[in-house]
Amino acid sequence: MSDSATHDAHAHPQEKQYWAIFVVLFVLTAVEVAWSYLGFEGVSLVVPLLVMMFVKFILVAGGFMHLYYDAKLLNGKLFSWTFAAGLILTLLVFLAVFAAFEFPS
Amino acid sequence: MSETAVLDDNAREEDELVVDHSGDSGEHHDDGHHSSLGISNTKLAMWLFLGSECLLFGALISTYLLSKANFMTQVLAGNPKVLATLTKLKEVAPEKYEEILEEGSVEPLFDILFTSASSFILLMSSLTMVLSHKAVSEADYRASRIWLGATALLGSIFIAGQVYEFTVFYNEGIYFNKNLFGSAFYTLTGFHGVHVTVGIIMLASLLIMSMRGKLNQDRAETVEIVGLYWHFVDIVWVLIFTIVYLIP
Repeated sequence: MSDSATHDAHAHPQEKQYWAIFVVLFVLTAVEVAWSYLGFEGVSLVVPLLVMMFVKFILVAGGFMHLYYDAKLLNGKLFSWTFAAGLILTLLVFLAVFAAFEFPS
Repeated sequence: MSETAVLDDNAREEDELVVDHSGDSGEHHDDGHHSSLGISNTKLAMWLFLGSECLLFGALISTYLLSKANFMTQVLAGNPKVLATLTKLKEVAPEKYEEILEEGSVEPLFDILFTSASSFILLMSSLTMVLSHKAVSEADYRASRIWLGATALLGSIFIAGQVYEFTVFYNEGIYFNKNLFGSAFYTLTGFHGVHVTVGIIMLASLLIMSMRGKLNQDRAETVEIVGLYWHFVDIVWVLIFTIVYLIP
């Protein structure tokens, strides 16, 4: 096995971990849809849906896109903060835009 | 020493510098110099591109939310242009018009179960994408081709579903240039559909490369980089599905 393959085998998840991530994503999506049909309104509807959406986001970015493993293995702090800083900046900009338009809650 | 020998020595020295720069001589790939962040320049370029894409889709989602809020506010405020749109809808699809008046929104048009199936298909395509990358990393080229083909097929099914959904909406009287909701909705989901289509073209290119024997273990990172794009498109749909379809 080449160096490259050895690196990939250690740095990235095994096949069963990919399947596990997919099953969790599948279940979360099913729960999301079911939740939207259960008749909840307002905060009790929106907050759980946003939490599940965020978990799915983290699972795909961290697991499938290898962000968790790359950040851990390759010059972790700088790599992580490059994306964390951008993400925080983006969220602040969008919050400012919503505030500027007085977006209703 | 001949000129060719001098060039070979220089190339070897450059290779050694690249390995030292990565900080881990056991982790280097053959497909690009490493950046100071510890990943190859090509992979870093894709991440930077995806960063700019985050801003694009963030802006489109924000526009959709603001337009939707403004649309309903204008209906309640009696904006004549918006009311004229509703009147037109009354002529084209009276049942939907009544539904909109009762529900106070255009969301009854959404077929959540159909869109849920599309979401499952796109999530499944992300799984087949990573399995393809894993297969090519382990020099299992046949499996890699199967997973690449499966990913492209699932992406195509998703696009077919989106075309069907747009056709239904069009027949129900929701046009791109008819109201704020139509413009914002079609722009957001249409941009996403274009991204999926571009991804399918990338996957088809990889598949052809693989069939010609040009996608070997040393170029596994090429598959990973296309995979990054594909997973990003999947993530955008995760956001769109919840924010546009599930949250009223």
